[in-house]
Amino acid sequence: MTTRIVAVLNQKGGVGKTTTSTNLTHALARLGKQVSVIDLDPQNHLSVSLGMHAKQQSGIDEVLLGNKRLDEQALEVRQGLRLIPAGPRLQEIEQLTEGGAHRGNLLRDAIGDWQIQQDFLFIDCPPSSSILVANALFAANEILIPMTSDYLALQGLSHLIGTIKKFETALQKKYYLRLIMSRYVATRRLSQVVLNTIQKYFPRQILATSIRETAALAECPSFGKTIFEYRPRSRAANDFTELANDFLLDRVM
Amino acid sequence: MAEKDDENLIGYDPLAWMHDPSSDMAASEITADAPESTEETIVESIATESTFDSEASFETIEQSEDGTNRIVLESTQGIQNVQALHESLLQAFNLTDSIEIDASEVQQIDTATLQLLLIAKRSGINLQKQISIDFPSERFIEAAELLGLAEMLEVDQAAAGFF
Repeated sequence: MTTRIVAVLNQKGGVGKTTTSTNLTHALARLGKQVSVIDLDPQNHLSVSLGMHAKQQSGIDEVLLGNKRLDEQALEVRQGLRLIPAGPRLQEIEQLTEGGAHRGNLLRDAIGDWQIQQDFLFIDCPPSSSILVANALFAANEILIPMTSDYLALQGLSHLIGTIKKFETALQKKYYLRLIMSRYVATRRLSQVVLNTIQKYFPRQILATSIRETAALAECPSFGKTIFEYRPRSRAANDFTELANDFLLDRVM
Repeated sequence: MAEKDDENLIGYDPLAWMHDPSSDMAASEITADAPESTEETIVESIATESTFDSEASFETIEQSEDGTNRIVLESTQGIQNVQALHESLLQAFNLTDSIEIDASEVQQIDTATLQLLLIAKRSGINLQKQISIDFPSERFIEAAELLGLAEMLEVDQAAAGFF
């Protein structure tokens, strides 16, 4: 089994990375896939969204610091879904100044020792450019970019694509890139204009289902629940089920 | 740059470089000749980028009621914060046609910063954007004159007008 390693990435904050990581991974697990997800954000939001509130729970931090293996830190949080929490020492990785290129290889090397058979390994990235994001890009073969439908999101996307192209050149690889329209407000004209602009530059790379802006998606993290547990019959739950199928079947706009 | 369409809600298109093969952004500066050093280069570059908090650069941009963006230079402007200034200028370029750079607090400024400001002025001319350096401090004017840039940065006139 070849595990697909997917970085959920956007340097802009508030676009729905963690919401996507939380609910898409659970949706895939509900469809019978074996999924793991790494919380690579020192803010620990993915872990909180999945109900893990223990701030001192070690996770990917100890793996990157060389003290633990990845499979030792994986926690079964839902049926078919494992979480590797951020851990309290993750910020120390960002402050590493020695080691050159090795600093970017920490996660890739750790995944190389991964002993558990998985269909997918998702990496929920922090909203920044940092050593942690470099680790995600070194390790991942695929990039999932949640995008909101406003002008400044295009600005952020421009910068992000520049970063991705640099990594592709440096690492001599081509990422499998897909975008997700997140927090989408269909009634707003700007939303459609932004979507049209993105389609122009990324033809056949936007997953078919847009995740519509709903209050339920903002509420459920506080309960440590995914949308399927919080509002199982909501349109947001339906959106994420459809998105999971889009992801598996590569259904694009 | 995409053409502006009166029916379009988007003015400046930040993704236009993707369809412009001559754009600097479309071509990576990193060569593939030495894979190990290239991996190291990309790690170093992203580590350096992260030390300039993009949120902090937003704090230096103020917007007035008439839509003019104002960037306030810090008292010490040097190589350590020139990248943050670069990002602020890029953001301001994308947001407005009029940028005011407040240089009143500058006590120390290096060549890199002055060169960046000169490039910004020239880029502004090409993009039909107005960029002015307001209230330059005595130290700012001295440094600009030392490098022969005072006239190009238009700070000699600003200084004369201030007094």
